[in-house]
Amino acid sequence: MSTPTKSLIKFLAAVVAVLVAAPVLTFIVDPLQLFRPARVVDAMYSIDSRMQNAGLIHSQTFDTVFMGTSLAIHFRQSDMDKALGVRSLKLAMSGSNSHEQSFVLATAMERHPARVIWEMDDWIFRDAPEVDANAYIPADFYRRNARGIASYLVSGAMARESLWILARSVPPLRPVVTRLTNGIMFKFPLAQAEDINVLRPSDNVAEIYNAGKALAAFKFITDPVRSNYLAEGYETGAMMRNFERDAVALIAQNPSVTFDIYFPPYSILQFVAMRDASPTTLAIVYDVTARIAQRLTQLPNVRLYDFRRVKDVTHDLGNYSDVVHHSPAVDAKVLHWLARGDYRVDPKMPLASLDELKAQVEAYRVPQ
Amino acid sequence: MLFNSYPFILLFLPAVLAGYFWLGRRSNLAPVIWLALASLTFYAIGNWQFVALLLLSIAFNYGIGHLLIVAKLGPSQRKAALAVGVAGDLLVLGIFKYAGFAIDNINALAGTHIAVHILLPVGISFYTFTQIAFLVDAYRGQVAAYALPHYALFVTYFPHLIAGPILHHKDMIPQFEQERSKHPQSHLILCGLIIFGMGLFKKTGLADGIQPLVMQAFGPNTPTFDQAWIGALAYTFQLYFDFSGYSDMAIGISLMFGIFLPVNFNSPYKATSIIEFWRRWHMTLSQFLRDYLYIPLGGNRLGRVRRYVNLMVTMLLGGLWHGAAWTFVAWGALHGAYLCINHAWIHFAPPIPRRLAPVAGFVGFVLTFLAVVVAWVFFRADSLATALLVLSKMAEPGNLALGRGEIAYALFIAVYAAFAWFMPNTMKLMGYDHRSRKVGEAFAASRLHSVYLYAAAAVLAFGVLGIQSRSEFIYFRF
Repeated sequence: MSTPTKSLIKFLAAVVAVLVAAPVLTFIVDPLQLFRPARVVDAMYSIDSRMQNAGLIHSQTFDTVFMGTSLAIHFRQSDMDKALGVRSLKLAMSGSNSHEQSFVLATAMERHPARVIWEMDDWIFRDAPEVDANAYIPADFYRRNARGIASYLVSGAMARESLWILARSVPPLRPVVTRLTNGIMFKFPLAQAEDINVLRPSDNVAEIYNAGKALAAFKFITDPVRSNYLAEGYETGAMMRNFERDAVALIAQNPSVTFDIYFPPYSILQFVAMRDASPTTLAIVYDVTARIAQRLTQLPNVRLYDFRRVKDVTHDLGNYSDVVHHSPAVDAKVLHWLARGDYRVDPKMPLASLDELKAQVEAYRVPQ
Repeated sequence: MLFNSYPFILLFLPAVLAGYFWLGRRSNLAPVIWLALASLTFYAIGNWQFVALLLLSIAFNYGIGHLLIVAKLGPSQRKAALAVGVAGDLLVLGIFKYAGFAIDNINALAGTHIAVHILLPVGISFYTFTQIAFLVDAYRGQVAAYALPHYALFVTYFPHLIAGPILHHKDMIPQFEQERSKHPQSHLILCGLIIFGMGLFKKTGLADGIQPLVMQAFGPNTPTFDQAWIGALAYTFQLYFDFSGYSDMAIGISLMFGIFLPVNFNSPYKATSIIEFWRRWHMTLSQFLRDYLYIPLGGNRLGRVRRYVNLMVTMLLGGLWHGAAWTFVAWGALHGAYLCINHAWIHFAPPIPRRLAPVAGFVGFVLTFLAVVVAWVFFRADSLATALLVLSKMAEPGNLALGRGEIAYALFIAVYAAFAWFMPNTMKLMGYDHRSRKVGEAFAASRLHSVYLYAAAAVLAFGVLGIQSRSEFIYFRF
């Protein structure tokens, strides 16, 4: 055999060796805890909830699942557990649509939770790509099928994370590696599942949530240049179809699970923005949420709450970082209301709270 | 189909190589036909709707070329044939690439609302330029008659079809005709794999890795001074590693077939002048623009003023070649202006004393790099307004974010800069000599051969492990 041929064989063998070693390392460390909860190495967590949720569902112990969008992303699991007397798992995903939420919840149902708490925005039901056509959610990780496992294991990024987590688990290296670990360079920077996407102690809450920011956001979205975006994707037929498919079907398939669903306490500015800049969109929001309320209150395993009408919160613009996102103080109130059953929608009068909201929106004048 | 995909690396490439060498034992023509068919298949996967256009373009240009080479036409008939050929190519390119842009401008000027929706066929700019060069050379009498399979392969050859390098028929077709390349050569396959691996790592490990930082400048939020620079520099390095990675992969793949492609990059960010930058960046495009645009316009033969005019025209059209948008025109205009200033400097500035040459070289390097970064802002931005906003933020040092993220991003960019400025490039590392058809001789003879071999294997493996779904090359859209 010629020297170049020998070199070629050696080269290919070395490539194969590395290609085998990396998945073996990822399998052993299992940074996402997709195969087993972390025991040999430290458990680490990512703030990329669309990816991390796939592992959390299989590695965590829980009886209650918490779902939602960015409005539910900062809740602490320990606060939920204390307020509601449950063992919760937060699966909220920023900007998520109903296909994603339903898909993740359906996977979580395989672990037989007793309760789902679902922060439900109207806009999640706008048309969106199916999860398999959605580049942001690794659907096959959730399914744990051959493709998902292959793409998890045959990944340089996961091998690098595994190596890092392994180094962090070696006692002499731990202090140095811990100091160097940050969310910018590494996917799994958090040592506690509890800390996923919560506000950090160093975050200045008053700076993040204040009336100035809320009013600036209002001005921004009602600017004639951008106000068209308010209406983007709002179409009653499509939204109701997605609601039936993603929410009602899932609830119906899990009759033993209690669904506590709430409409979040947006600032009043959200609706006023639509009132002033896109009234047809506001009409669609009213129509869709009216139908949703009527439908959900008829389902035996659903308790629906409408926090949109809680004037003390929604009219106090100091609670918001923009027109919808509320502060941790409001998070605490939401848990309190859920625990006490406050603002629950009466199945006999499912539109009463909406009518209250409509009156508030009509009467509201934006501070100048 | 993408080079940085498992189906290409694990299925397509091995199958095409195996078929090529198997047929090579039996015939000299069959491997050429096989490779042309494989190239069409490669193109059709994902772009099937444009295969007919590609075939028509080949037939049209081959026909015109045949008239120019074989038919006994008079001078005026030859001129007419060339005019028809070039006009036909430019017409097709104009319709598919520039019609939407033209209509948008008409709408803006006339207040009309005409809408056209024409998809851009992948690789059209590359295969059109390749064939215009063929027609011009045929007109000049510099082309021998080529067989159709060889010509078709020259145009469609899959390693270069979608994003270059821009090939020259005189370089490629004789290689396709050689019998030697149809027999497997372990040394070339090994060197091809190593070069491919380096290119793949540049793409999946480096370019894709820095891509998120680009949004610091070009994302939805108005950047601060440091964010604008981070985004602009991130794009500077992303584009380089993405495109030079693609070119390395193309060269590596082709080498496995025993075919040497021209070099497209030679560490462009090490350039100490804009003239030098253009001798190092997208070299095959520079050569094409020089030979088929700048020189026919008169080059530097018609006086200094005409030279500057010719430079501006060449770079403006070069900019427009990249994309139908005013941002690309602005990018081309900037580079045209840079080149004019550079030539004027050479002519008017006093000679630099030898002892100051290193300092002058360093100043030239810094100025060239900054000028290139500024121009890339136009290249990347969605609109002139966005480009001007980012540039204005880059000139506002008082407006700093300088958080933990920005500091980490800056360090990240410093690592990329170190790669681009201080590492030898792939072709240097591998001793790739396109002209003399040599590669890897020093590597093969080195005492550290085994160490290099295993390091290169690791680079290829990391490149494969870095493959992400849906990561196209930036130059695919040109």
